[in-house]
Amino acid sequence: MQFVLQTLVGGIGLGAIYVLVALGFSLVYRTMGLVNFAHGDILMVGAYLAATFFISAKIPFWAAMIIAIVATAVIGLVIERILRPLENKDFDLMLIGTIGFGIMLEGIAILVWGTTGEAVPTPITGDPFNVFGIYIKRYELVVVIVAALASLVLWLFLDRTKQGIAMQAVAINHEEATALGINVGRSNAIAFAIGSGLAALAGGLAGPILYVSPTFGANLGIMGFSAAILGGFGNIKGAIVGGLAFGILYSFASGLSQGYADLVAFIVFALIVIIRPNGIFGESTVNRA
Amino acid sequence: MTLKKTAAYGLPLVVLFVLALVFPYLVDPYTIHVSNVAVVFGLLAIGLFLSMGIAGQFDLAQVAFLGVGAYTAAILTLHAGWDFWPAALAGVVISIIVSLLVGIPALRVQSHYLAIVTLGLSLAFISLVINLPITGQAEGLSGIPAPVFFGIDLGDDYLFYYFGLALLIVGIAFAAFVVHTRLGRRMRAMRDDDLAAAAMGTRVPVLRMIAFAFGGLYGGVAGALYAGLIRFVAPESFSLANMFLLLAMVIIGGRHSLPGVVIGAVGLIFVRSWLADFSIYAQLGYGALVVIFVVFLPTGIAGIPARLIELWKRRGTKGAGGIGVAPYVPYAVEAPDAAGSPDADAPVVLQATDVVKSFKGLKALAGVSLTVRQGEIRGLVGPNGSGKTTLFNVLSGIHPPTTGSVEVFGERSTTTPSYRLSLRGVARTFQNLRLFPLMSVRENVMMGIDRTPSRWSWRYIIRPLSVLRADARMRGEADEILDRYGLLGLAEAKPSELSYGAQRRVEIARAMATRPRLLLLDEPAAGLNGDEVNQLKAIVNDIRATGVTVIIIEHNMGLVMSMCDRVTVLSTGKVIADGLPEEVGRSPEVIEAYLGDDAKLEKEMLDATSGPAEGTVQ
Repeated sequence: MQFVLQTLVGGIGLGAIYVLVALGFSLVYRTMGLVNFAHGDILMVGAYLAATFFISAKIPFWAAMIIAIVATAVIGLVIERILRPLENKDFDLMLIGTIGFGIMLEGIAILVWGTTGEAVPTPITGDPFNVFGIYIKRYELVVVIVAALASLVLWLFLDRTKQGIAMQAVAINHEEATALGINVGRSNAIAFAIGSGLAALAGGLAGPILYVSPTFGANLGIMGFSAAILGGFGNIKGAIVGGLAFGILYSFASGLSQGYADLVAFIVFALIVIIRPNGIFGESTVNRA
Repeated sequence: MTLKKTAAYGLPLVVLFVLALVFPYLVDPYTIHVSNVAVVFGLLAIGLFLSMGIAGQFDLAQVAFLGVGAYTAAILTLHAGWDFWPAALAGVVISIIVSLLVGIPALRVQSHYLAIVTLGLSLAFISLVINLPITGQAEGLSGIPAPVFFGIDLGDDYLFYYFGLALLIVGIAFAAFVVHTRLGRRMRAMRDDDLAAAAMGTRVPVLRMIAFAFGGLYGGVAGALYAGLIRFVAPESFSLANMFLLLAMVIIGGRHSLPGVVIGAVGLIFVRSWLADFSIYAQLGYGALVVIFVVFLPTGIAGIPARLIELWKRRGTKGAGGIGVAPYVPYAVEAPDAAGSPDADAPVVLQATDVVKSFKGLKALAGVSLTVRQGEIRGLVGPNGSGKTTLFNVLSGIHPPTTGSVEVFGERSTTTPSYRLSLRGVARTFQNLRLFPLMSVRENVMMGIDRTPSRWSWRYIIRPLSVLRADARMRGEADEILDRYGLLGLAEAKPSELSYGAQRRVEIARAMATRPRLLLLDEPAAGLNGDEVNQLKAIVNDIRATGVTVIIIEHNMGLVMSMCDRVTVLSTGKVIADGLPEEVGRSPEVIEAYLGDDAKLEKEMLDATSGPAEGTVQ
C-alpha cells in the first residue's frame, strides 16, 4: 500500500509535466492541425536555457524560467513563419519540416551545451512533507500547482478572450474564419508561440527532476504526445487527464522495473491508439466523400 | 518502349554500372568502407521510399527494422552458432514480422498519429535492446563472424562491395518492378486518395500492411548486410538521430522517386563521412536542408529536372492550350433511343430498405427506401443537405448505414466494404472529383481496369513475369477506354493539367473501366458548359445502352427531366417523391422543398389572381 501510494504521488508529479507537454502539443494541433515534432526539442532548449540562467547567471529560478519561455516563444514564431507556405496545404510535409527544425535545435544544443548533459539542483529546498508516511517533495508540489495554474490560464484564454475564441474558430474551419476577418496566419503564430512557451515551462520544470541532456526532449515529447492522445487530442480536459494517467502509468512501470519503463509506456501507447484512436474525450470525425 | 527511349534511359545506366564496377580500383580502403555503408542505407531508404513515398504510410520505425535484422543475425551467429546466411535470412523474416506488428496501428490511424506511434515503437525497440542481456545491453554484440559467399570471404571490404552492389541493384530493380506494376499503382492511389482507391477495388487495410512489409523486407536485408559488414551491433546505431538522418535522405533525394532516394542515401552517407570531424555542423546542415527542401523543393533533388523543364516551357510557349478532349465514341451505333426505359418487370438491381444514417445525432438519412431496376437511369434530386451524397456513400459501401438494409444484384450488401462492392460491379464518381493527383490519366484509368484481389500479390514472388504480362494487357485495355472517351491524347498528363470538364470525363472513364453493372454518378454535370452537358447526356445514354444501370445525382433539372426514366426526390433525409419525371416535377411537395413555402404561396396566389402567368415557376 505504501509503495502504491508513494508511486502514485511520484506519478502525479511526473504527470503534471506531461500535462504541460500535452497542452502545448494540443494547442498547436487544435489550431493548425499540425503535430509539431520539434516540440520535444524546443522543450529541451527551454530546459537548458532555464538551467543555464539559474546555475551560471545565478538569477532566481522563476526569472530564469521566464527568460526561457520568452526565448522559446520566439523560436516558435520563427518556425511557424518559415513553414507558413505549407499551412493548410500539405501537413505531412509540414510535419517533416518540424522534424528538420528539431534536428537543427538538437545540433545547436550540442554546440552550445555539449553532449554530457546537466544536473539541475532543485530550486526549492527543505524536507519533503510527510503525510501518513508518504513523502511529498516540496518541488513536485510546486510543479503540480504551476501546471494547474497554466491549464487554468490557457482555458481562460481560449474560452474567455476574443483572440482565444478566434483561434478556436480557425481550428474548426480556417476558410470560414478567414471570411469572417480573422487573421489565420497571426492566429497560428500565436498558437505556435504559446505552445513553445508551454514546452519551455515543461522543460524548465522537468530540469530539476530529470537530467537535462540534448536527447531528453525526444522522450519527454513523445510521452507528452501519447498523453495528449490518451486523453483525446486537441482538448484541454483530455490533456490533463491523459497527462496524469500517463505519468502514473510510467511511474508504476519504472517502480516495477526501471529499465523497461519506456518499453511499457510506448507499447501501451500503441495499444491505446489501436483500441481507441480518439482517446477518452476525443471526437471522431467523418471523412466526407 | 521505343528504341530511342530505351537508349535515353539505358545508356546512362550502363555508364553508371561500369563506373560502379571500376570504382574500387580508384579509391582507398576507407572510401570503400563508406561505400558499403552507403549500400546498406540505400537499401534501407528504398524500404522507406516504398512504405512512405509510394504507399503514404508515415513509418518512422524504419531504422528499428534495420536493428531487428542486424540483431537477429548477430544473436543467431553468436549465441546459437548458426551460419551467417541462415541467420541473415532469419533476420529478414523476423524484420518482416516486426514490421507487420508495427503496422497494425496504421489500420486505425494515419499521417501524424501514425508517425508518432511508429516513432514511439522504435524508441521501445531501443529500450528493449539496451536492457536485454541477450542483445548485449548498452555494449552491444561484437565479433560477428565475417560472411563467406561461395568461398569468397566478404570480410574484405573490396569483395563485400561487389556483393553489396549486386544486392542493391537487385533491390532497386525489384522496387522499380513493384512501383510500376499493379501493386505499386494501387499503393500510389491509396497514398493519393484512400477513399477513391477503395471505391476502385483496392483493399486498403491489406495494402497498408503490405507497405509495412516492404519496409520490413528492405530493412531486414539492410540489417543483415549491416551485421555482416560492421560485425558489431550496438543500440546507438538504431537511434532516433539515425531515423531522422534516413528521413532526411528520402526527403532531400525526393520521396516519390526511386533514383532520388538512392542518390539521397548514398550522397548523405558520403557527405557525413567527409564531415566526420564536424559532425555537429553536418547535423545542423542536414536539418536545415530538410526544412529548405520541404518548403521550396518538396519533390527533392529528383524533382529538379521536372521543375527546370516546366520553367523552360513556361518561358517558351506562353499559355499553350495543349490537347483538348476528343469526341466520345459510343458503343451503341444505332439511334440513341435503341435501348429505352426498361420494362416494369426488369430484374431489381438495387434495393435499399429503410436506410437510416446518423452522424452524432444528426440524421442525414431518415428511412430511405429505393428500388432500381436493371437498365434504368434513375435521377436522384433534392436540395443541398438532403442526404443524396450520404445515400451514395451508403450504397457504395463507404459508410455502413446505422439501420436498414441494402441489396445489390440480389445480394445483401448492407455492411459490404466499398472495395468488395467495386469488385461486384458497383462503380461511382465523386461530387468533388477524386482523381489520383500524382498519377497520369492512363494510370487513373488502369486503377479501374485492375480487378485483381489482394491475394494476387503473391505472384510478385512466385510468378513475376505474369505480373508484367498482365500489366501490359491492362495498359492496352486502358488505352481502348481512353480512346473511346476521347482522352487518349491526354493519357500521359496529370489530372491537374486538364480542364475541369476533361477531369469529370476522366472520372467517368475510370468508373466505367471497372466494367460495372451499376454506376453511381454524383453531380457529373457540375461545372460543365452547355456543350459538355450535351456530351455527358450522350455518354450516359450510351452507358445505359450497354446494359449498365445508372443512378445520377444532379442539380441541372433540364438534364434530369430529359434523361432519367424515373426520378427520386430526397428532402431532409426522406424520399418525398418517386416516379416519372413529369409526375415528380408537378408534385407540390417537391416544389415546396426546392423553392420554399413562399414559392408555393406565390404560385397559389398567381394561380388564383391571373390566368396565364408568364415567367413563373415551371
